[in-house]
Amino acid sequence: MTATAAVPSEVWTCPFCPLACDQLGVETPAATGRFSLRGGACERAERALGRFDGAPATPTVDGRPTTLDAALQAAAALLRASRQPLFAGLGTDVDGARALYPLACATGAITDSAGGEPLIQGLRALQDRGQFTTTLAEVRTRADVIVFVGGLPTAMAPLIGARCGIVDSQLAQRHVVMLGGSAEDETTLAGWAGPGVSVESIALTGDLFDTMALLAALTAQRRLPDAPPALAALAQRLHQARYGVLVGAPPRLPAQGALIIEAVHRIVDQLNRKARAAALWIGGGNGAATANQVFAWLSGLPVRSRAGPHGLEHEPHAFDANRLLNGAAVDALLWVSSFDADAAPPATALPLVVLGHPAQAAACQRAGAVFIPVSTPGIGCDGHVFRTDGTVLMPLHAVRRDSLPTVADVARRLTALMQAEGTA
Amino acid sequence: MSRMLLKGGRVIDPSSATPDLVRDIAVHDGRIAEPDAAAAYDQTLDLAGSVVMAGGIDLHTHIGGGKVNLARMLMAEDHRERGNPIALPANALELASCGGCAPGTLATGYRYVEMGYTAGFEPAMVPSNARHAHMEMGDVPVLDHGAYVMLGNDELFLQLLAEGGPEMRNFAQIRDYTAWTIHASKAMGVKVVNPAGISAFKFNQRKLDVDEKHVHWQVTPRQVVHSLARALKELGVPHPLHIHGSNLGVAGNIQSTLDTIAALEGLPAHLTHIQFHSYGTEGPKKFSSAALQLVEAVNANPQISIDVGQILFGQTVTASGDTMRQHANSGLANPRKWVGADIEGMAGCGVVPFRYREQSYVNALQWVIGLEIFLGVRNPWQVVLTTDHPNGAPFTSYPHLIRLLMDRSFRDEQLARLHPEVAANCALKSMTRELTLAEIAVMTRSAPARLLGLKDRGQLGIGAAADIAVYREDHNREDMFRTPSHVFKDGTLVARDGRITATPVGGTHFVEPGFDPIIEKTLRRHWQDHGAIHFDNVAISHDELCRCCNGGRLLPTACFEGSA
Repeated sequence: MTATAAVPSEVWTCPFCPLACDQLGVETPAATGRFSLRGGACERAERALGRFDGAPATPTVDGRPTTLDAALQAAAALLRASRQPLFAGLGTDVDGARALYPLACATGAITDSAGGEPLIQGLRALQDRGQFTTTLAEVRTRADVIVFVGGLPTAMAPLIGARCGIVDSQLAQRHVVMLGGSAEDETTLAGWAGPGVSVESIALTGDLFDTMALLAALTAQRRLPDAPPALAALAQRLHQARYGVLVGAPPRLPAQGALIIEAVHRIVDQLNRKARAAALWIGGGNGAATANQVFAWLSGLPVRSRAGPHGLEHEPHAFDANRLLNGAAVDALLWVSSFDADAAPPATALPLVVLGHPAQAAACQRAGAVFIPVSTPGIGCDGHVFRTDGTVLMPLHAVRRDSLPTVADVARRLTALMQAEGTA
Repeated sequence: MSRMLLKGGRVIDPSSATPDLVRDIAVHDGRIAEPDAAAAYDQTLDLAGSVVMAGGIDLHTHIGGGKVNLARMLMAEDHRERGNPIALPANALELASCGGCAPGTLATGYRYVEMGYTAGFEPAMVPSNARHAHMEMGDVPVLDHGAYVMLGNDELFLQLLAEGGPEMRNFAQIRDYTAWTIHASKAMGVKVVNPAGISAFKFNQRKLDVDEKHVHWQVTPRQVVHSLARALKELGVPHPLHIHGSNLGVAGNIQSTLDTIAALEGLPAHLTHIQFHSYGTEGPKKFSSAALQLVEAVNANPQISIDVGQILFGQTVTASGDTMRQHANSGLANPRKWVGADIEGMAGCGVVPFRYREQSYVNALQWVIGLEIFLGVRNPWQVVLTTDHPNGAPFTSYPHLIRLLMDRSFRDEQLARLHPEVAANCALKSMTRELTLAEIAVMTRSAPARLLGLKDRGQLGIGAAADIAVYREDHNREDMFRTPSHVFKDGTLVARDGRITATPVGGTHFVEPGFDPIIEKTLRRHWQDHGAIHFDNVAISHDELCRCCNGGRLLPTACFEGSA
């Protein structure tokens, strides 16, 4: 990675996409006070850094500015009045998720992440069949065949090519294949070609489900006389690879994406009988994977669970936030989004508490809504988030400490208020 | 200032000059103190008819980190009660948390404490996953904790070993890198898992014997084991190299185990879940107990310690860093699914659900082998009681295991239920030894504390931490050890008759061996060329550790004066 040449003296970990890159830095020129990226470019990071320019946000209740204490009282009253709250978004770090869990227990809340559906698609595939995965350093140093399933996830994770080592020289020769993909993806892919990197774009045969089913059959060396030659050659190439890696992004998959995820795992499993291969999943950004990991370790259960009247329940379908809101199965929403200014709470008339990015203030001004601006880990405070491969918990460092409370602060105070009520 | 007197209990403290004596114990501000007839105590407990021991210490239990959380996510069926949700805790001090073989961290803490344990050590912390492991352990309530960091399959270690040649010309570098890794990950020791084998699997090697060369680096497991054991000895790290040997689970692997002991050339080491490494190839099924050979080797090598990794029957999930062996065993998964990963040029993991069955010849023999080892080794200070939670069985089965070891007639009853060929032919059926309470105390607290270098834990001498478990005498040892009447953590009552009464945050044990900082130049270059995280983000500082561990106390353990 070329960016490591200009190492900033203090490391910054970017919290704004699943890759959690730490090879770039942030500058705050005194003249503007605005954050800007240093040592490289990433459109997603630059856009996110540009969302911290507004005036300092204050808590509001029913659209009226108020103190943090008053906002907490209002939020607690709102949760107390709820018979079935939903905690969604869950855009937070480990500390925040650790503190939200006792609050969820105290209120019997159902939890679900923003982008919970792709997370659950991956989880279902894991629970049903298992998986074999790899991590960024393995891909960078050893993957000689990299297959992007269903196009390139560059909008979600702009530096995916660099993080997979495609544009550095860790291996003498790499072959990068894209299965399906937009015209823009074609351009990006072509840009990766060069000394040591060959690229290939393979069009889908039917849709992505059909294509992956075909590739799985070909990898299992089943005879398919009408198989597209490019897919047959890819299956062959994967068998001969030193280390073949299939890269996919659940948030970009169509409905029922679990089937594609399972197909990838089936292909990897087949290859690993005689050769070596693994899957790499890109997703779980903005704290979604982090909250899922934390809830899983504390309780044993991932998101889409609750400590409810029947006990500790996990319902991967029924506890989908959108389904619950659309079906009026919940009567209050607590929305958490400390990283992504654009992750607004879903449109709802329900009583609403938002622990949000300061730039979300304007979107949360209505009767029955409590807005509490919170610090963004990696900008205004330190923190930890999981990187996309799930085994590296990245430390986040404040760029400029702010006076906003963290999600953890707010959640702990709310829990204390709920418990005080319980014992009163 | 709080003072408490525990009166008239039968105190079993194998570390003391009077290992088994009815006597009083005083607790003064969380520490054991001399009983003082003139002192006014805030609280006095009459413990006549009770057995008093130090809090239990589990030196090998998979309680936190990436593979444990994968096991939780994989084992959804472990988190339901026949399709129904698991009931919420009746105790307001407990947060909802469930799971038998893959419990949440909260349930892990509650269940250990209710059994009288006050510390647990995660044995397989991947360096790149260290923050996560410490986070999870910090969320295990009450228990003190620590972890052994995995080395010996990371590409840099193997590269250094290859560069130094058989005579290890660069040994100082290897030693400094070992110390630095302990420092960066805030570990209590070092574990090697299938030495060089996890890496070899990444290069598509499917097995690796102790003297077989890694296909890429051309180094052998023998070299890996010896260099790591020597590095730790020279660094003065109290816990010697924690070894998960080559060829786990393979019939005939006793040879690998004996070769590994030989590779140590007299250096101290701890061989973990040794039951899984004590198999012969005799008999009609070419699978037999090699417990006798193992026991002979342990008896002849007092510098070696072991934990058993006893299996017990029922559903569990095996979580291991040994990708090579877990992949090989994945066909036996029950239910039929498994998770594996290659990790960050450093390590791997494999999570395979498993159901041990009494009527399975192999499983029955595994059960027998574990018990033969427990009963065969002469010196209990060389043996630690474990099931390698959850790999042999969940830790909640310890009371049952203790009864098997202490009660021959109960053991024989259980043996009679097993696969008939195993029950009829095993050496276990003629073993009459019944372990004493003092021997159980050694295996569950005194020996683990000594093996870890914990001077003020695992014993009840003056000045020791007041981690105490009080059991009611009961000839049914399973009932006795299932539910102690009182459990104290640093003098605070944390469980009473199986009910949690307080949930203080546990402390974190770690060691800080010295190293020449010049090694960081090599490491920085390595991370830049091969890593996926900035080198300055790798090491965990004390402040960050504190945050990871939920604000629990940091408990650095002193290193011995090393020869370095």
